[in-house]
Amino acid sequence: SRTKTQSTEQCLLLVVLLVSNMLLTKEGVTSLPICPNGSVNCQVSLGELFDRAVKLSHYIHFLSSEIFNEFDERYAQGRGFITKAVNGCHTSSLTTPEDKEQAQQIHHEDLLNLILGVLRSWNDPLIHLASEVQRIKEAPDTILWKAVEIEEQNKRLLEGMEKIVGRVHPGEIGNDAYSQWEGLPSLQLADEDSRLFAFYNLLHCLRRDSHKIDNYLKLLKCRLIHDSNC
Amino acid sequence: MKQKLTSSVQIILLLALTAVGWTGQSYPGKPKIIRCRSLEKETFSCWWKPGSDGGLPTNYTLFYSKDSEENFYECPDYRTSGPNSCYFDKNHTNPWTTYNITVMATNEIGSNSSDPQYVDVTSIVQPDAPVNLSLETKTSAGIMYLWAKWSPPPLADVTSNSHVYHYELQLKPEKKEEWETISVGVQTQCKVTMLQAGVKYVVQVRCMLDRGEWSEWSSERRIQIPNGESPPEKPTIIKCRSPEKETFTCWWKPGSDGGHPTNYTLLYSKEGEQQVYECPDYRTAGPNSCYFDKKHTSFWTIYNITVRATNKMGSNVSDPHYVDVTYIVQPDPPVNVTLELKKPINTKPYLVLSWSPPPLADVRSGWLTLEYELRLKPEEGEEWETVFVGQQTQYKMFSLNPGKKYIVQIHCKPDHHGSWSEWSSEKYIQIPTDFRVKDMVVWIIVGVLSSLICLIMSWTMVLKGYRMIAFILPPVPGPKIKGIDTHLLETGKSEELLSALGCHGFPPTSDCEELLIEYLEVEDSEDQQLMPSHDNGHPSKNAKMIPKEKDSDSGRGSCDSPSVLSEKCRESRALPSTLQTQDVRDVQENKEGKRSWETECIASEQKILLFNNESTKETTWPATQLPDNHPPMFAYHSIVDAHKITMTTTNVNIASFLVGNEEHKSQYSITETVHDDMEKQREMENLHSKTDQTTMQVIKTRPNDKSPFLNPKLMDYVEVHKVRQDKETAVLLKHKENSGKREKYTVPGTSKEYTKVSTVVDHNILVLMPDSRIHHTSVIQEPAMEMSQNLQQGQAEKNMSYCLTVPSECKRETSGSEYMDPSSFMPFK
Repeated sequence: SRTKTQSTEQCLLLVVLLVSNMLLTKEGVTSLPICPNGSVNCQVSLGELFDRAVKLSHYIHFLSSEIFNEFDERYAQGRGFITKAVNGCHTSSLTTPEDKEQAQQIHHEDLLNLILGVLRSWNDPLIHLASEVQRIKEAPDTILWKAVEIEEQNKRLLEGMEKIVGRVHPGEIGNDAYSQWEGLPSLQLADEDSRLFAFYNLLHCLRRDSHKIDNYLKLLKCRLIHDSNC
Repeated sequence: MKQKLTSSVQIILLLALTAVGWTGQSYPGKPKIIRCRSLEKETFSCWWKPGSDGGLPTNYTLFYSKDSEENFYECPDYRTSGPNSCYFDKNHTNPWTTYNITVMATNEIGSNSSDPQYVDVTSIVQPDAPVNLSLETKTSAGIMYLWAKWSPPPLADVTSNSHVYHYELQLKPEKKEEWETISVGVQTQCKVTMLQAGVKYVVQVRCMLDRGEWSEWSSERRIQIPNGESPPEKPTIIKCRSPEKETFTCWWKPGSDGGHPTNYTLLYSKEGEQQVYECPDYRTAGPNSCYFDKKHTSFWTIYNITVRATNKMGSNVSDPHYVDVTYIVQPDPPVNVTLELKKPINTKPYLVLSWSPPPLADVRSGWLTLEYELRLKPEEGEEWETVFVGQQTQYKMFSLNPGKKYIVQIHCKPDHHGSWSEWSSEKYIQIPTDFRVKDMVVWIIVGVLSSLICLIMSWTMVLKGYRMIAFILPPVPGPKIKGIDTHLLETGKSEELLSALGCHGFPPTSDCEELLIEYLEVEDSEDQQLMPSHDNGHPSKNAKMIPKEKDSDSGRGSCDSPSVLSEKCRESRALPSTLQTQDVRDVQENKEGKRSWETECIASEQKILLFNNESTKETTWPATQLPDNHPPMFAYHSIVDAHKITMTTTNVNIASFLVGNEEHKSQYSITETVHDDMEKQREMENLHSKTDQTTMQVIKTRPNDKSPFLNPKLMDYVEVHKVRQDKETAVLLKHKENSGKREKYTVPGTSKEYTKVSTVVDHNILVLMPDSRIHHTSVIQEPAMEMSQNLQQGQAEKNMSYCLTVPSECKRETSGSEYMDPSSFMPFK
């Protein structure tokens, strides 16, 4: 009977080993797609990078639309800001595609650089927006936190885009063409109407540019990752 | 003094003033009925003008009577026609009746009534003025004319909005005083010619119902008649839309053309450009529209669009319209919507919806991203169920009601801005009923399982029920039995004991065990302090004891009423008398909890019977001077007796009895005999005769319904006993009356009690003498009575102890009564 118990113990041990081995191998399997065996360049795929960038840009544009709508509803009613807002964005100096054909004709590296340029152009104004928006009279929390959130997410997107650009055409990361924003004084104007218009215009431009970036990124993703067959 | 005088004068003045103030409040002034009016002959309203309110809150009440009746009625509706009015709806309006209407004003001080107003509905018809008057100038064959339209007056009661009104229109140049009136007829539109060009006209319209009064004139409308020299009105841009985020179209609505052919020009400028462009394409999108093709469409750019209307007299420009094409995308509805019902094996069927984006939308390039929403409802349903599905072009629906026909539609929208497309055309799908069958199977399984569980539950309840109840309701203190040989009972011979306890194999063993336990409990209770009487001790238990022939109601309160109790016991006894062994088994098979009670009751009955039989011999009979010659047959009956006696103080050797029992007869035969006895007894009772009876029930008599303890004098007691047919032993009741009277022994006043043995005949026949004093007889099942009577008669302690044991058995059935507490008897000694 002693041999019997021994054999059963051995069996049990074997089973335990097998099971644990299976579990271990399974765990190993999950990490395979990103880091193939012995791969030196263990990194996130370009498709994954684009997915994340598109999600982020989508989110930023969503926030920008919301903050614009809230501001418009609260401060811009009946002031005719839209008529004055024509031709007022600081990024308008960057020539970006204005329709589908242009967007499709432009080389993807140029488009990527344009996106980078627009994102960089917004770094500075977004920082100021996040701080200055708190001085708006009775600014609701929803506007305040969105301004902060947009600023943070814009930075993250910029980082991600730099990574993508580095991946798509390595070594050519320079080209830091971007538009300088000179609008800080307008956000601090004493005249409330003018100040509110400055905010309105900035938010209007933010909404537009964030949509541009989102649209370009979705286009690029389909072009580069899905071979224009989304 | 002066001061006092002045102050008192002041007080008097004040009082007077207050009095004046009080008198200033008076009953209300007389209200006046201003007018009564019917809008359409089917309803009418009356308005009144309140008089002074007398300085107090005043209520106004409108009363009316009809010429056909004497009665006065109050206004049915004070609200509909506004304050100080009364509205008579259709049900309160009769065109053939003259109404006599009075308004009464009431306040705290008094009331005041208006003068009566007599109303004939037909004569007060006056509709409201027509509404929605609109004017338009048109040119036909070079002639300018005015086109006026309006709507009939709205009515409170929408259902009666089918009246035919006659209309009249009046107009005049704005600067003149005289109106020109045109009779229109029943139409709600009118064409007016012969107008002066370049003059502004004022127009009104009114209406009339049949021969009633004309309504008021409607509100004025003004219109400038173009004089042929004027430019067109300015057009209005209605909307702009891009169907695919590549092109867009704007539409406008022209204003008045000023009587001349007018050209429309769309002009636009783009953000950041000073240059103004004209619409590139007026045709593609139809009249009064401008189509911007791909080349002319820019995104993230604001278009400033205006439309200019021009005729030979001049031009007019619309308000500017600002458009960012990004935000005006409204795609076409999705296409190729297909519904497919998938039926995988082993799973419920589900619905797969798939569709394609609208053909114009270029989704593949990533330029336009669409999101979809679908909605569906059963064909006859009212409310849509809407599901947002994101960017997928396929959706699976799992939880659909089988057997229903569903309508499905899908629409789409760009991911950020723009608006939802129209819904796609309706698609229908019939969900088959086949998975209803699967549901049925599931339900059947669930039902079977649950019923099984119920069965098991009730079974366990039946098995455990008695113990549970004994646990919940602690055992009633049993009789204190003197002289019991507890040692003997404790020291084994359980089998003998069991048989001695009356479990002769007739009831199932489980019941026997319970009976045994009961006996042991009695034993245990020997130490307990016994209470004289717990009248209402455990009514619930009592109720449960009721044989199934009785409804539960009859059981209630039985503890309180000894007569009822005895009745019940009698029934309990009657039950076994009609049962064969087979019957008992049937009873056992009843799944309800009653079963055990019933069987136990039967068993108890039998024991009682057995006991009674024995006691007849051993105790009662001696007491009544019955000769002590027992036929051999009694030997096994004495099993019970032996047990009883053991419990009493009599020095009977139980062992010998038990042994004797075993030697004598099989238990089965005993049981049969018992049944036999009982059956016969029942027969006897039914037949009201004692002819050829082989068994007689012990009959005890008792004085009346009152508690025997309270009224011991009235106790009386007779046991009529059984016996063997072959021995021809019998107890005869000696009546003065017909023996049939025994039937009514439970009915007070008509029963007889037998207290004395008249004679003993032939060693076999006991003749009992009815007690003339007592008019109530009851059966043996009243052990308490027996006891009391025994006590009263000062019988031997043997008798008493016998009596005590009986209750101990019966008590389990009639636990509430507690008659047998020995301590209560002691004083009677």
